Amino acid sequence: MKKPLALLLSLLMLFSLAACGGGGNNQPASDGNQSTAAPSGDKNTGGEQTTVPELKGPGNVTLKRLGYNAAFDPNNDINADVLKQSTGYDVEYFMLPSENADEKLLMDISGGANYDSINISINQWRTLVSQGALQPLDDALEAYGQDVLAGNSENVWNALRGDDGHIYGVPYMYPHSHEIAAFMVARMDLLKAAGINEVPTTIDEFYDCLVTLKQHYGDEYVILAGPYLPNSEANENWVIPKTIACAFGIYNDWMVDENGKVYYMTEAPKFAEMVEFLTKLYNEGLIDPDWAINTESTLKEKFTSGKAIITCGNRALADFCSAALIENLNLSWDDLAYISALKGADGTCTYQSTEAIGWISCVPRSSENLADVVNWWNLRVKDQLFITIGEEGVHFNYDEDGEIEPINPIFAEERGNSYWYLDVTDQKAYEFQWPSRVRKSEGQWHSFSAVTMDADQSIFVPNTFAFMPAKENYAKYNTAIFNDLQDYITQVMSGTRTINDLDTFMSDWTNAGGESVRGDLQGWYDEFYK
Amino acid sequence: MKKKKSAGIALDASEKFVSGLAYVLMTLFALCAILPCLHVVSKAFSKGTYVTAGLVNFWPKGFQLETIQYILFQTDFFNALKNTLIVTGVGTLISLFTSITTAYPLSKPAFRGRKVITLLYVFSMVFFGGMIPAYMVVRMLGILDTYAAMILPFAIVQFNMFIVKNYFEGLPEIIEESARIDGAGDLRILVSIVCPMSTPVIATVALLYAINYWNNYFHAMMYTQSPSMQTLQVYLYNLIQSGSGYLENMAGGTLTTNITPEGLTAAAVTLSIIPIIALYPFVQRFLIKGITIGSVKG
Amino acid sequence: MKTPPATALTGRASPGAVLAKKLTSFGNYLRQHWTLYLMLIPGLFFLFIYKLLPLYGLQIAFKDYKIFAAGDPWSAIAASEWCGFEHFAKLFGSSQFTKVLTNTLVINGLKILWLFPIPIICAILLNEIRQKIYQKLCQTLIYVPYFFSWVLIFGIFYSLLGSYGIVNNIIASLGGSRVGFFSDQSVFRSVLVFTEGWKEIGYNTIIYLAAITGIDVTLYEAARMDGANKFKQIWHITMPGLLPTIVLMLIMKVGYILTTGFEQILVFYSPAVYDVADIIETYVYRIGMGQADFSLATALGLFNAVVAFVLIVGANTVSKKTLGRSIW
Repeated sequence: MKKPLALLLSLLMLFSLAACGGGGNNQPASDGNQSTAAPSGDKNTGGEQTTVPELKGPGNVTLKRLGYNAAFDPNNDINADVLKQSTGYDVEYFMLPSENADEKLLMDISGGANYDSINISINQWRTLVSQGALQPLDDALEAYGQDVLAGNSENVWNALRGDDGHIYGVPYMYPHSHEIAAFMVARMDLLKAAGINEVPTTIDEFYDCLVTLKQHYGDEYVILAGPYLPNSEANENWVIPKTIACAFGIYNDWMVDENGKVYYMTEAPKFAEMVEFLTKLYNEGLIDPDWAINTESTLKEKFTSGKAIITCGNRALADFCSAALIENLNLSWDDLAYISALKGADGTCTYQSTEAIGWISCVPRSSENLADVVNWWNLRVKDQLFITIGEEGVHFNYDEDGEIEPINPIFAEERGNSYWYLDVTDQKAYEFQWPSRVRKSEGQWHSFSAVTMDADQSIFVPNTFAFMPAKENYAKYNTAIFNDLQDYITQVMSGTRTINDLDTFMSDWTNAGGESVRGDLQGWYDEFYK
Repeated sequence: MKKKKSAGIALDASEKFVSGLAYVLMTLFALCAILPCLHVVSKAFSKGTYVTAGLVNFWPKGFQLETIQYILFQTDFFNALKNTLIVTGVGTLISLFTSITTAYPLSKPAFRGRKVITLLYVFSMVFFGGMIPAYMVVRMLGILDTYAAMILPFAIVQFNMFIVKNYFEGLPEIIEESARIDGAGDLRILVSIVCPMSTPVIATVALLYAINYWNNYFHAMMYTQSPSMQTLQVYLYNLIQSGSGYLENMAGGTLTTNITPEGLTAAAVTLSIIPIIALYPFVQRFLIKGITIGSVKG
Repeated sequence: MKTPPATALTGRASPGAVLAKKLTSFGNYLRQHWTLYLMLIPGLFFLFIYKLLPLYGLQIAFKDYKIFAAGDPWSAIAASEWCGFEHFAKLFGSSQFTKVLTNTLVINGLKILWLFPIPIICAILLNEIRQKIYQKLCQTLIYVPYFFSWVLIFGIFYSLLGSYGIVNNIIASLGGSRVGFFSDQSVFRSVLVFTEGWKEIGYNTIIYLAAITGIDVTLYEAARMDGANKFKQIWHITMPGLLPTIVLMLIMKVGYILTTGFEQILVFYSPAVYDVADIIETYVYRIGMGQADFSLATALGLFNAVVAFVLIVGANTVSKKTLGRSIW
């Protein structure tokens, strides 16, 4: 027993020594992609290249584009043909997986996979920039990307600079800057039966509404179902409905006070009050006892089956549920109402504007087609209307207000997936074109027009950190600490922790990198808004 | 299994009890297992709005075939199925070969070096170098984005090899010895005596390997790039995970009433597990066959 | 890294004569059974390339691994800076560590305790069903759940056990109060054990069935002639026949006590039950969230592997002493 063990161990050690030697002396054989060529030496000084690369031109090069995960084959979609027709470039499309996308991206890019254009999330982009994995785009944009440059504001371009001042990505901006993206959908038929004829607009009315419903319906219904946590970029999904948070002066995980001091949500004056409010709702049985467990699909199930009276949600959920409710329970559009951002006891309400970068496209070091990638982007910005909406008279018409009105079903069939192919937009033009994409479905438009189009514009506060460029600590810790915060709030609600525990939470928060994230944000804020 | 008449003794009370218990318990188990499955299958064929609302129980409600058709014909299903069948078929054969050839020598008590090599397998079963080195080995061998990348790294699963080895160790030695006296070598004994006597375990391990290859999502995803190399699991995962996002972006209300993320998931799961479950009855044939061969030889 | 050759040398310290004798006898054995060694080659080949070669990467558990530190991820392993036990300190230093370690042991211990015997009983009982078709049907049915992903299983059990699920509706209609199966700390572990059993039992049964099939039928005939009843037959013939498989499976289960259950718990748990359900891997998953921290993941893997190896070697030794059975 002993001897074989010893023998085995020594064998292994010898072996790993050999492996170490092998790794150290000779570079592992490249597997045919000479793309690993990116010399490690020029990592830090890579931005200094002065010659703008030559354009090879459409037809002489096949570009490789990597995008986020979607459920169709991007090479066989009609939009691939539309782009080819519009730009002339041959493009091969690839997708990241739906799970472990970050790991796969890092291994592919560091291993030298020869993608030319990659479309990724801000966090992924921040990681790649901080590791020096991307090519600076300034010169190429200057030479071949004038429309791309002109299509976005100076603030946005500043947000896309690395520490060395070079631009490392092009933006896809969120297409509507003042949307109330998170709201609640209510069953007006049930509210009316309980004697409530108007949806609540203040936090007190809201509470009274829930109490009245509970008295009227008892245990028969879930009064308020939530939270709505769709499968996307984590920090936008809150366990505290934003509709409620805004009544307590809370609109983001990081906020700035009037003295220019950056503070975390937990340090907001009314944070404790907000959590206590939620806990009260939970203890009085006014919200779903499964608040801690609900997923996107359990939430949809409760609402569309008629088990819940009010649900947290967004445009997509409203679209989905209205179709099902109208079908399953014979409701009409009038039976659906929306609870928008609630006003606080003092009549104030703060909702963060949605001006933000949605996705970023960039060029990895291993690409040899920088000029053509930028040119390809530029051609698409030039022809944006055709690519995202289509041809007038075929895919859309202008209505009497001059707005774009899509013609279905051809618009849906031929431009339904065009969103996936967008790398960069002309922001202003897209903000005009985009609502027509909302209009493609009645359910989305019904809620969008009720909540966002009628919104009181004075409630919006600017998205302070929308244009902060890549910061190391922020990229590293912010997702995890926000997740901790959400867990903490849920635990307080369900009674396993209390709000008096906040000090413990904050010391854990500091250990988990909270203060260093604050440092990043404060530093940038002071510089940017001085 | 046992032919009750052959022994000529009537069923005694204990046999009746055990067999009664077997019927009751196994029926209960089978029901426990099958009801949720029925639920999933029913969802695949039910109207979308009912599925979302959780109104579908154990029988389709608002029967429709659109979801299944969507998966089969709107997308890359058949290509993914082909990839998976190739990987599973070839992979299982290779794995069986390596497992049997490894297990046989290690099952011989007198085999010199048995302990070291066995320990090496145990060691490697537990210690894992991590995602990156494994990926880089595949990359450096130049087999990234090929079938080989999805087969060779799993050519031997230690646990399955141990099951085979265990079984070999339990075989009666007399038969082998008599063959050896007749002048048969190790290879010959393995091929013409040990393997035929081991069909139950070989069939079972083949099934375990096939399941392994069939279900392999993570590595199939890591080691491929081209959409055309997607295996069934990768394809379905992507379909399910991004299904909701896709539907939300899809224009028009026409499709959404029938095709919902939950329905899509249910249909995808139904379609993907039918082939691998269908394998089991074949394995069962060997489970029964094994007995007769074993008893004849014994 | 410099010590191993020394260990190798100690092996040679035994008297030369003994060694020479051993070598000759080994030579004889080799000449006689060279095909056996030949047979090992394919397995060892794959083992070295795909399992042992990547072990080179274990060193990043002690390094601050930067994937872009060199031309490619492999060279980056050597190029990254050593950082000692920093990642292990992050793992073990947390105030949560004792709690998550306890949870891991308790949950997986409960699973072994409750779920380990069931597949064995199932295999024995299935074998007693005389109608072949019915037997096959039952076997196939109980093995189907294995193919469901945890996400899907959560969906199924949520509609059964959710606050407004079927079970709770029955409880409520009988006048009881609704049970938070997923949010009540006192029942959540039972939910984990039960669902795990639902998914895995059929699959494990297959492995035992193969072993039962290998038992020589003539043994049963003889026992019957001797008047042994069914229980005696099961105890004296079936169980000894199953013993090697039982030992193998038990050693494996004990060995992997720290690592099993991650996917299930990740899908099933919620902040409300962290106190009883947060295991090592879910905890590390959360602290590393959004970072793709390869070093931390490797450190965790290494820790788990060392524990598993010790447990497997230990369990094997115990089994050898008490039952006379061992894996090697």
